[in-house]
Amino acid sequence: MAYTPQYGPGTSVVSENRRKQMNPKLAFEKMRDVNDSDIVLLLGHRAPGSAYPTAHPPLAEQGEPDCPIRKIVAPTGGAAAGDRVRYIQLVDSMQNAPCHPYQRTYVECYRYRGIDPGTLSGRQIVECRERDLEKISEDLINTNLFDPARTSLRGATVHGHSLRLAEDGMMFDMLQRCVLDGGTVKYVKNQIGEPLDKKVDVGKMMDDAWLKANTTIFHSLVGTPFRDDAEYIEYVQRIHSLRTKYGFMPVE
Amino acid sequence: MTDAVYPQCKIETERYLNPSTTEQILNKIAEIPGIRRIILNGPNIPQVVPYGPARGVPNPHSARGAIIVGGEEIDLRVQVGTILLELEDKDILPEIRSACESVFTTLTFSMKEGRFMRSTPTQTDYAKYGPNADAMLYGIVDPKNKTGPSILQGNK
Repeated sequence: MAYTPQYGPGTSVVSENRRKQMNPKLAFEKMRDVNDSDIVLLLGHRAPGSAYPTAHPPLAEQGEPDCPIRKIVAPTGGAAAGDRVRYIQLVDSMQNAPCHPYQRTYVECYRYRGIDPGTLSGRQIVECRERDLEKISEDLINTNLFDPARTSLRGATVHGHSLRLAEDGMMFDMLQRCVLDGGTVKYVKNQIGEPLDKKVDVGKMMDDAWLKANTTIFHSLVGTPFRDDAEYIEYVQRIHSLRTKYGFMPVE
Repeated sequence: MTDAVYPQCKIETERYLNPSTTEQILNKIAEIPGIRRIILNGPNIPQVVPYGPARGVPNPHSARGAIIVGGEEIDLRVQVGTILLELEDKDILPEIRSACESVFTTLTFSMKEGRFMRSTPTQTDYAKYGPNADAMLYGIVDPKNKTGPSILQGNK
């Protein structure tokens, strides 16, 4: 019988959302339309329209050694062209953000090739070749993984994911990279805090009901409490118990 | 003889306050006679980007700026989330609560009574203020910051 991945335990809406995001057979829901050049501006790695700087010659010109693995694995577009490795880093508020760092890493590992994610408590960075990065960033910003108010692009000075929101509903950002302007959220700085020549509109912030229904983070005050998901607790306790006992007797 | 222990209270709001809301609540509080000290707590907002590739670049931020409280201009350097008050008497607590209720109409808030301000100097306080410092200064302003506290004209 063919193996069907389950992606994660749980019966709550949060666990269902986690599974939906991780499953590469399900497409993300498109929520907004930030264009390519705006994404390049937000990332701040190169000027929009400029050529991709390279770290090495294209693989076709370089002459690859005779290697069976290279014959099996096709290089990604960025690797084939010899692009530099660049990053995007996102911060997710604990107040019902649609995605969160661990979840992001799982999602990216299931869906993309040639990436190097780094997971921290409040932020998640993913590194890959520049042109691959721009495609991934498009997915991360334009789909249901992103909320303009509670998810934020922050390359540095990331503090804010665990704080209260501001009066207008925005997550605290010491550098105020994005502002609420005329009902929509606009980025005025790129991800590392350098001012942009033009504002980049990332659309309206999602309402509380949508966030509660689409979040992948448990929260006992503003969202779905972890304790309400008995199946998830049972799974976490089982893993914890096995890990603890493993050194002594690696059987259940 | 022991020093008098003054009652203190802490006001925490559900969300971080805009400078305009901070100005409103502080002006209401400043009108109440019998408040000795006010401390505004919240995450710091630096004037320039402190670290990272953009280090040293100016950092315009709508939550930082000058507010007018009791006719005095105060330079707001944090996004206010907690207000600590030291009172001369507990009797004014209901007045403070009603001031909060009149300003925080769209937010919930909590008001707690207890000890929230430092009463003894830290090593940094000692280095900055010396051995015979006024105890009123402890904890009232970030000792690493070069600026001092703002003094509002009393209304007693």
